[in-house]
Amino acid sequence: MKSVWAGTICRLLVVLMVWTPYQFAQAGMIGTDQVVSAASQADRATLLNFFSRSDVASRLQTLGIDSASAKDRVATLTDQEVQSLAAQISSMPAGADSALGAILIIALLAVAVWYFWTRM
Amino acid sequence: MISVRGRKARSSARVAAGVFILACAALVSGCASLLPQTAALSEGLPGGAAGRVELTAVPFFPQSEYQCGPAALATALAAAGVKVTPEDLVPEVYLPERKGSLQIEMLAAARRHGLVSYQLAPSFADLLREISAGTPVIVLQNLGLFDGWHYAVAIGYNYERGGLILRSGTNERQILPFAIHELAWKRSGYWAMVAVPPDRIPASAEESRWLASIAALERAGDAKSVRIAYSTFLERWPGNVTAAIGLANAHHALGELDAAESVLREATRREPESVIVLNNLAQTLSDLGRNQEALVVIERAAAAGGPFAEAVQQTRQTILEKISEKAR
Repeated sequence: MKSVWAGTICRLLVVLMVWTPYQFAQAGMIGTDQVVSAASQADRATLLNFFSRSDVASRLQTLGIDSASAKDRVATLTDQEVQSLAAQISSMPAGADSALGAILIIALLAVAVWYFWTRM
Repeated sequence: MISVRGRKARSSARVAAGVFILACAALVSGCASLLPQTAALSEGLPGGAAGRVELTAVPFFPQSEYQCGPAALATALAAAGVKVTPEDLVPEVYLPERKGSLQIEMLAAARRHGLVSYQLAPSFADLLREISAGTPVIVLQNLGLFDGWHYAVAIGYNYERGGLILRSGTNERQILPFAIHELAWKRSGYWAMVAVPPDRIPASAEESRWLASIAALERAGDAKSVRIAYSTFLERWPGNVTAAIGLANAHHALGELDAAESVLREATRREPESVIVLNNLAQTLSDLGRNQEALVVIERAAAAGGPFAEAVQQTRQTILEKISEKAR
């Protein structure tokens, strides 16, 4: 009976370990992203409007997603991406157009190009 | 009299001809400045690109309303071998209030699926080069008058005919003349991205920007993909010490301490005074239980100073503590 329980617990632990995402911020090791962005990091310290990840996550939340997935989505961004997303979130283009509109506009453009071409 | 009239007529003809030539030049240069990249492409096929390509194996996911982002992303990801549908990607990239997807999130979402995402240089020639190398390219077009942003996936082209082939919206095989595509694409600043498996390097990748793309993958947390990506990078650019640091970090994260040590030793031969290399080598040696060796290395890093001095002091402190623990 005891060994059955031990086996179950072992299996559970293995599953949990597999599920646990790798932690890249290891004690003592300097991360590569820090190296890559070392130059811009110095600039960033002097930036007045520095946005934290939770700032950006709550901005995303206001655009209609729940807090857990907002947090997840921000977690995969690099530091630089977090800053540019925060700065431009409302002005950035968001690809969205419905296909019908796209086709109509393209047809109009094609007709216009053809028209001017034959007139020349 | 006659001679004067003749001269007048001739001069007015010359003026008319001049105006005509000027008008032609204006039209031609107007077109070239409106569509600079299409004009440049007409000079000749970009180096390394085939004349005619169509990646017919790229799957097609017809978009539902406003969701061209998830559809385009699923197309590129599935082409790279990731099993995913647009519905899976909606919670990762779609913003209901904006009724669309942001470019930065498109790049990040591909990383979450173990691929390296890379934003192409704003170049039509590079777009053709990527397709020619077998990689479908996500492009951001603006097809409307005000807010008609739209993601589509370029999967082929015919250079002679000047046509680009796309999976776009509900259209499985849309053919757009280069000029029309440029008009719509130019408005996003020629934004384009690819997502490739970590053992590949995009045809148009630049060394430093590709390195940053791999470093960005570290955040997504898939250490094995990161390790493969850095090894592939170092095969192409063996002298890059930052990539060596990245590879060693991936080995370290996976518990492959011996491999991490040998990569870092090789890096110290290239850049003996790099504080980061020395710090990470000392940490690795300490994790291997060789604290005396680690101490020698960290002292060298501490002597150099620089922006990572604080991290170095911390590493040194831990090593000293481990040594004194052992002595007790």
